[in-house]
Amino acid sequence: MKDYLKVGISGVRGIAGETFTPQLAAAFASAFGSYVGRGAVVLGRDTRASGPMFEQAVIAGLQHSGCQPMLAGVVPTPTLLMLTRQLDARGGIAITASHNPAPWNALKFIDDEGLFLSPAKAMEYFDIYHQGDFKAVAEADIPGAKLLRDPMRVHFDAVHRYVDVAAIRAARLKVAVDCCNGVGALHSRPFLENLGCEVVTCGDRITGDFDREPEPLPHHLTTLSALVREAGCAIGFAQDPDGDRLAIVDEQGRPIGEDLTVAFAVQQVLDRHAQGPVVVHLSTSRCVRAVAEARGVKVHLARIGEINVTKAMLAHGAVVGGEGNGGVIVPAVHPCRDSYTAMALMLELLAMTQRPVSVLRDAIPRYHLVKEKMPIRNEAAVGILRALRRRYEGANMNLLDGVYVDFPDRWVHARISNTEPVLRLTAEAPDEAGARALIDEVRAEIARSGT
Amino acid sequence: MRDPGPLNTVTSNSNKISRRLDIAFRRRHSGSDFAMSDWGPAARGKRIMRSLRLASFGVQGIVGDGLSPELVMNFAAAFGTFLERGPILVGRDTRHSSRMLQSAVVAGLLSTGCDVIDCGVCPTPILQFSVGPLGGTGAISISGGHSPMGHNALTLLGAQGAFIEPVVGETVLDIYHARDFRKAPWNAIGAVQPSPALAEPYFDALARHLDAGAIQRAAFTVVIDPVNGAGCRYIGAFGERLGLRLLPINDVETGHLAHDPEPRPRNARQAASLMGHIPAHIGFISSSDMGRLSIVSDRGETASEEYTFPIIANHVLARRPGGLVTNCCTTRTVDDVAARHGAPLTRTRVGQAYVLSALSDENGVIGGEGNGSVAIPAFNRGFDAFLMMGLILEAMATRGLGAAALIEELPRYHIVKRQVAGETHRGYQALDTLANQDDWREGGALTTLDGLRVDWDDGWLHLRASQTAPIVRIISEAREAEVAETRALNASRLLEHLL
Repeated sequence: MKDYLKVGISGVRGIAGETFTPQLAAAFASAFGSYVGRGAVVLGRDTRASGPMFEQAVIAGLQHSGCQPMLAGVVPTPTLLMLTRQLDARGGIAITASHNPAPWNALKFIDDEGLFLSPAKAMEYFDIYHQGDFKAVAEADIPGAKLLRDPMRVHFDAVHRYVDVAAIRAARLKVAVDCCNGVGALHSRPFLENLGCEVVTCGDRITGDFDREPEPLPHHLTTLSALVREAGCAIGFAQDPDGDRLAIVDEQGRPIGEDLTVAFAVQQVLDRHAQGPVVVHLSTSRCVRAVAEARGVKVHLARIGEINVTKAMLAHGAVVGGEGNGGVIVPAVHPCRDSYTAMALMLELLAMTQRPVSVLRDAIPRYHLVKEKMPIRNEAAVGILRALRRRYEGANMNLLDGVYVDFPDRWVHARISNTEPVLRLTAEAPDEAGARALIDEVRAEIARSGT
Repeated sequence: MRDPGPLNTVTSNSNKISRRLDIAFRRRHSGSDFAMSDWGPAARGKRIMRSLRLASFGVQGIVGDGLSPELVMNFAAAFGTFLERGPILVGRDTRHSSRMLQSAVVAGLLSTGCDVIDCGVCPTPILQFSVGPLGGTGAISISGGHSPMGHNALTLLGAQGAFIEPVVGETVLDIYHARDFRKAPWNAIGAVQPSPALAEPYFDALARHLDAGAIQRAAFTVVIDPVNGAGCRYIGAFGERLGLRLLPINDVETGHLAHDPEPRPRNARQAASLMGHIPAHIGFISSSDMGRLSIVSDRGETASEEYTFPIIANHVLARRPGGLVTNCCTTRTVDDVAARHGAPLTRTRVGQAYVLSALSDENGVIGGEGNGSVAIPAFNRGFDAFLMMGLILEAMATRGLGAAALIEELPRYHIVKRQVAGETHRGYQALDTLANQDDWREGGALTTLDGLRVDWDDGWLHLRASQTAPIVRIISEAREAEVAETRALNASRLLEHLL
């Protein structure tokens, strides 16, 4: 199961040169062209070594179905989503395995509204792929690819319209960015310099590989921490390879945890921009709820998976939210995770409060998160989830995605992973012992249920 | 349009052949390509036209039907696996489909770990010429050549731009069929390198090969019709280098070809009509890959493409003695030209790969086919319309003759071309039957190099099952038009009876 190909709600994903081949990418692109119909399809990629190869394959596959590839080149995933909507395209394809390691790559599919395919749409699309009956157009109807000029403009303009650019520029902040040798290596320095920042960077060369582990987890950010301390920066930003997630390092070089990225964004939006509901996914830290509830705003929980969060935000009319993994979503900019919106909001917060990151961080209630996973067969997982539902009968339960049990100051979540044959157990409490106790309680129940 | 003269090509289309018939494909799931289903049951009761043909020197077919991005990607991956390392040059003509196929080819080659030099729109002869100077291990040319819109092909070229030898190419096909592609690991995938300018070194070499000074002094006015193909962006440099006053037509890369791209009289009418109003020394019509050429004379005659090779051979062999190679159904005018210059003549099967391979084996000076193609190994490794144009202009300039005079000095024959409908396997059976009978040959000598060829003192007859359509082609040539017609008619009746 190590080097498998994963076809599902988050696209088609595999290891380049092993399970994921250009032949497969072309076939999926042809099927996508058949699904969305003839017209423009926006195409972009991150910096992985296999990117140019898959890009050529996808171009050919789209043309085969009569779709005109609109080439954005190396751009962040949120940029592609915005371009798809802005250009009134039939859809879009992002060639990126996001936070997966460099050998991986993936195709992610975007609908005509600039959102990732919903589960229902994805199912329809994969049916077309599996039927294998892609409409090939006649020679005269094969469109040429078009190169998009200045592809970042739509994205950066949208962020500029949302935040107080003058206030940020006036603060003249010194910031460090770890671009993870990803799309940020091209775009983050100009973006931040345009906001009046003095910028120092690491992971800023495009090599096809990543100098650090691509997930912006605290223990992967040691280079950025050193850079922040040595250069005396007000803040450090860590992006993932495709620029949708963001982690923050405080002015002393300490990673503050990905959950805090969303908490700060919620704080800044609710304080300065808009009043309205907040949506985060189930496994997001309770600190986000604390920030929102302190401002009299209700937090809704969504299933795991970016498109599920996006759909819930649109349904609830949310003004801000996202995922606890550093994925900030501000629907007024675009209903997708975007590290650039997150950076701008954070800079605005610093500019307006004139306080260091560490002080702002201390103002937010601290929680401890414990994450574990249990290897499990799918058929056994169903029985376990049933047993847990009985165990917590009467408690405040959310069954959107596995079993999520909500207590006044803590929660525990058991769900079947979308990507691995494991049961994910997550618990959060004001202290580590409390979180651990919740996990132990769930494990004991699983043992008792005999599965 | 004036009578193009006695060496006149007559094509009988009495049997209407659909260019595009029902195809049975089996689409296999996940990463594979469109593969032909077995011919037997599918062909029963139906006439099958192949929309795809894989051969050792490439693949050709109908876009979207046989030629899908996946198939082409697999074929390119087989070639990359075979060559083991790059850089591999990739060039294409201007057809809408060529862009798509180029992306597919590049992806397939990169997946095997080979670097690619992207030559963009590039005539096949310039691509062949550039392989050596750029240090390429090989090249893939994407062009439908003389085939109509809707068709396309990949041609595999080896080191120095030479055609892959048919036998060597079998290995590529074996890799393709076994799906035994080299999959480069993620950090060893090939890279695309931009191409340096190819026109300058190529035309420098061409000018050196020709008597460029004589051509420049002649200050020719020349009509060129590159049929909106790969030649469009290169004819300017060609004209400039040879001091021509160029009147280009159909020289815009629209993706659409203005007319059937096979250089032959009926496709030369636009050039001829222009020359009716604006005097020019000669008109040239090329295929979309610049591999074939036909001419319009200074008198406005749309000359048969059969003239191209003997005109050039007559000029080249006079200056450079050596062997000549041609296929087994090219006009006897070529035999006469070879004899006139004492050049040994080698005959091959039909197809440029066979001609070029024999040219190499025999160390010949010149090779060509009756479809308007000529190769000079001392200059380039394939059929080259720029070279052909240059040599014809050189002949005109150095000998002080007009285009019409170059045609008139050649011995004349009458060629008749007919075709009879019949499924390919029945066609082969019929030819087998005829090969074992004597009486229909009327004392002519039989050779079976490629199909059947019968030679008499005053002409010859060639019967061959087409590789691309369910027909048997008949070519009959004789001194007397009536004799050629009668032999072709008799052969077609015989075949109709057998099919």
